[in-house]
Amino acid sequence: MAKTPSPDVSPPIDEKRASFEREALVHLDVLYRVALRLSGNPSDADDLVQETMLKAYRAWDQYEKGTNAKAWLLTILRHAFINEYRRRTRHPETVDLDKIEPYAVFPEVQDEDPQGAFFDRIVDDEVLRAIDQLPVAFRETLVLSDVEGMSYQEIAGILDIPVGTVKSRLFRARHLLQGKLYDYAVEMGYIKGSPA
Amino acid sequence: MNCRECVEHLYEFLDRELTTELEREIRDHLEDCPPCGEQYDFEELFLKFLRARCKTQGAPAELKKRVLRELFGE
Repeated sequence: MAKTPSPDVSPPIDEKRASFEREALVHLDVLYRVALRLSGNPSDADDLVQETMLKAYRAWDQYEKGTNAKAWLLTILRHAFINEYRRRTRHPETVDLDKIEPYAVFPEVQDEDPQGAFFDRIVDDEVLRAIDQLPVAFRETLVLSDVEGMSYQEIAGILDIPVGTVKSRLFRARHLLQGKLYDYAVEMGYIKGSPA
Repeated sequence: MNCRECVEHLYEFLDRELTTELEREIRDHLEDCPPCGEQYDFEELFLKFLRARCKTQGAPAELKKRVLRELFGE
């Protein structure tokens, strides 16, 4: 009779490495992009990704292979970020998210530029700068959704918030960002408009 | 489905996060209502623009090396 391996025995090291490379390391770019938007600078993003990968490798036996490695890794990354952020920031962000009431840009541009051609003139760096100005709770939701294409359910799991909260944060984050980009476009003369 | 409800659910529609029924109601409304249709086009373009502007960046080669070195000692 064939021996079945006991489930609590760790796999050999090369097997562990191979599965980690296959399922986790392939998400390095995603982790870096998210880390960069959360931390706001390349050096902290490097450290955050490094820490995430080390933690993930140590805990790799707990990860159920073939499920959602990207979401699992992002959850680790976010915890690492929060811990570091709390440690460093004496005055954490005290933005009352409920008081932020962004408006939709579309009605403002409906007559002049309903197709949003002004967006095309805004360069990458300016968009990233505008994202970095969003309150962190909005920023992380928007990045996971709009840059990394994750579902509401996945985002809810990573951020540990209800799906309804993901929905409302995303709605307001997008409008807030649109407003910032619109103001910038007006300032630069890409569109006439009237700054909000 | 009126315009206010349609606009309220526009992002969920674009994100494909609605139930089949609600999705159909929105689609029907968008076909019949040019202003909402325009707003839909605008929001869709905005999301595509956002992704295109942000997705270009990947992890630096040096970071990849550093992670491999730290994990596997190489």
